Amino acid sequence: MFEQLLRVATDRFRRLLTDREGGAQSLREWLRNGDDPETRGVRLLREWLSPEQRAQYDAHRYFDVTGCDSGKRYRIHHGASMNIQEIDGTGRPRVGWCFVPNTYLVAGDVMLAQKIALETDELGALDVAKKFVPKETQLNMFMHL
Amino acid sequence: MATQIVMDHTGDTRHYFDANNAKALMQAEERFKELTLVGFTAAVRTASGEPTVIRTFDPTAEETLFFPRLVGG
Repeated sequence: MFEQLLRVATDRFRRLLTDREGGAQSLREWLRNGDDPETRGVRLLREWLSPEQRAQYDAHRYFDVTGCDSGKRYRIHHGASMNIQEIDGTGRPRVGWCFVPNTYLVAGDVMLAQKIALETDELGALDVAKKFVPKETQLNMFMHL
Repeated sequence: MATQIVMDHTGDTRHYFDANNAKALMQAEERFKELTLVGFTAAVRTASGEPTVIRTFDPTAEETLFFPRLVGG
């Protein structure tokens, strides 16, 4: 009885997979090519990153940029706000900077706008930005108390 | 085909146009002016891939990216 039920269920599942092959293929393509806003934003970002930045982002979900005016280094973390850190020569955060587009955008777009701003008009970007103390710095201060 | 990419809540909206078509080029220039007038920044990539901000329409640009005005978060 159990074997018969299992055989029927297996057969029905096989037929379902066959019938839904088109749908399953679409799902696989969607997962691969992703057309949701978040995925499109990250795809656009990756297109505009330098090869080094792209590799860094793929490995760590952040990438470093050099300010065009001061030569300072900034680390842009994946995110849509409070995601920029000015870093020292060893990569440790010195101060956080927050500036974002004035309308809702997905994280990839926000990071790309921030990258272009720092690389082409660093002082203009920092002029509107708000400073904050990065979490890592807060932790370091606490550890040294 | 040249492209104007405008960042928005959907990720981006792309406007493709034939840079050899005078009417299409005029429409693209009009779009450039409208977007920059309301605060969008236009950027293109140099041959080496570095971003550059442009203040006037570049009819030879293969790809122009527009992002909204930046404000303190």
